[in-house]
Amino acid sequence: MSTATSIAVDERGSAAESRRGFGAELGLIAWQVFYEQRAFWRNRRRALASLAFPLMFLLIFGAIVHGHIKSRGNVSFINFYVPGIIAYTVMALGFSTMALSLAMLRDKGVIKRIRATPMPWASYLAGIVLSMVVTVIVATILLLVVGIAFYGASLRISALPGLVATIALGTACFTSLGIAASRLIPKPDSGTPILMFVTLPLSFISEVFFPLEEAETLRHIGAFFPLNPLANGLAPAFDPHMTGAGFAAHDLRSLAIWTVVGCVLMVRSMRVLSAKD
Amino acid sequence: MSCQCQDARHFRGARVWPSFDGMANAIEVSGLRKRYDDVEALRGVSFQVGVGEVFCMLGPNGAGKTTCTEILEGHRLASSGTVSVLGHDPARGERALLERIGVVLQSCGIQEELTVGELLDMYGRYYPRSRSAEELIELVELDAKRDTSAGSLSGGQRRRLDLALGLVGDPDLIFLDEPTTGFDPHARRQAWSTIRSLCSLGKTVFLTTHFMDEAQHLADRVAVMVNGEIVASGPPQDLGGRGELPTEIRFALPEGLGLAALPALPDGAVVVEERDGILVKTQDGVRVTHALTGWALERGIQLHNLAVAQPTLEDVYLALTREGEMEKEIR
Repeated sequence: MSTATSIAVDERGSAAESRRGFGAELGLIAWQVFYEQRAFWRNRRRALASLAFPLMFLLIFGAIVHGHIKSRGNVSFINFYVPGIIAYTVMALGFSTMALSLAMLRDKGVIKRIRATPMPWASYLAGIVLSMVVTVIVATILLLVVGIAFYGASLRISALPGLVATIALGTACFTSLGIAASRLIPKPDSGTPILMFVTLPLSFISEVFFPLEEAETLRHIGAFFPLNPLANGLAPAFDPHMTGAGFAAHDLRSLAIWTVVGCVLMVRSMRVLSAKD
Repeated sequence: MSCQCQDARHFRGARVWPSFDGMANAIEVSGLRKRYDDVEALRGVSFQVGVGEVFCMLGPNGAGKTTCTEILEGHRLASSGTVSVLGHDPARGERALLERIGVVLQSCGIQEELTVGELLDMYGRYYPRSRSAEELIELVELDAKRDTSAGSLSGGQRRRLDLALGLVGDPDLIFLDEPTTGFDPHARRQAWSTIRSLCSLGKTVFLTTHFMDEAQHLADRVAVMVNGEIVASGPPQDLGGRGELPTEIRFALPEGLGLAALPALPDGAVVVEERDGILVKTQDGVRVTHALTGWALERGIQLHNLAVAQPTLEDVYLALTREGEMEKEIR
């Protein structure tokens, strides 16, 4: 084997290797989703914190609160809780879990390790985000099953398209904000209290746990942030008196605006995460 | 300079890089400078690493080793100078380059929920040609830990997993940052033989270490960095003119005998009294040793703890870095 031929072989070989097809890239992301899911469910504490809490809220509220809400077209409490707690779960997973996971990956140097491999950072992040989407789907189905089977919540099948679209937009919104917020978490240890400080008060003023009938001002403040539009946007699917495909234009518009804001902040924060000095 | 195994280039996966003078270099660095605010961490560093060579960078903490390594890996950007790694500019982070290098960093995190086997599978998928998890697990002797999550490994086991992950893409060039820190003596020997075997496959190794015996054992060539400059480089046996340094003869005289009792020694021999004996430094080790032992035999005197030695790599290293530190203080 002469040197000249081995160089020729080498050049052809590396050109083929480095130009991966779009399909192969998607395959790589799919594998990443698989491994992220594995890691997610194996960490019992994290899985519990993000799934068991919403489930527990639904079980307890569903068991102790009965009756109907006059201010919301006389809908029963369980048909108010199910969309509210789904919205809360989307926020807990998309925003809190996402921000915390990324802060942890950054702090432990996993991002640095990934950047030393040929796996593009964007594909790796796509894997994490899509894995989170899978978790949101699992959690939503779980909450729907419990709400409908145990407490008789009513889901209008004709409103499914609106429900799916609203959850998808809400997930995009909170995930982009979560990725952006990961930059603001100095140490993963301090992340949980910081995030609680944001999400818990927001949940109380966003009408996910109870309706704010009297507190006009708080309701207006809550309506400014994305959690309340998400909960309200999901509500039509559970209101038996309503018709239509379950699209709440006003709430979807608020969510879309927040998604744009989230994406702008996310891109800026991703630049910082991957910057070289 | 290069590896003993001349057939290595014909091994599967071994490559030859084109170059103008026929000598293929895996790494070429010239005039490399790196400035952080008002500190200059690298002050004009130049060196080459040939294909198939084990190159070791030595230096005290804060000398600029890590900065230099991170620039070669593409984690940091150079302030000025040129850097070429396998013919690529590492700052551009090209996938074609990343597919051919392996990096074993110190203190780099891992997805701790996944097991050793899963991690090797997962990282293997990032590369176009990867080595199987089975093969790597055997290589770093983690057979018993295949299904253990990375978070429950001991420190030494984690470092072995790091080494396996650095090799998973079957790299042509591998960066090892203090690869055996925290290893027990047995594991170190094992890691050394793994690194040596990489060399016999035609791979190039860029190593940083604190251990002189490691450099001595593994490196074809050593460079000593002090204050952002390379102060000496060469094969470990000649580093800093080690081959020409005086031979050191140490012994202890029986009680009652002092320096005055010693015979006349050949010209140029320097006698120093140390705490636990006598040190003679000479360029002519054979004649001085002969004179001393002849004198002792004649008088029936025992020379306790007699030792004749060349300065070790550590002695040379300490001398080189001490000079550098003093220069820094003067400045």
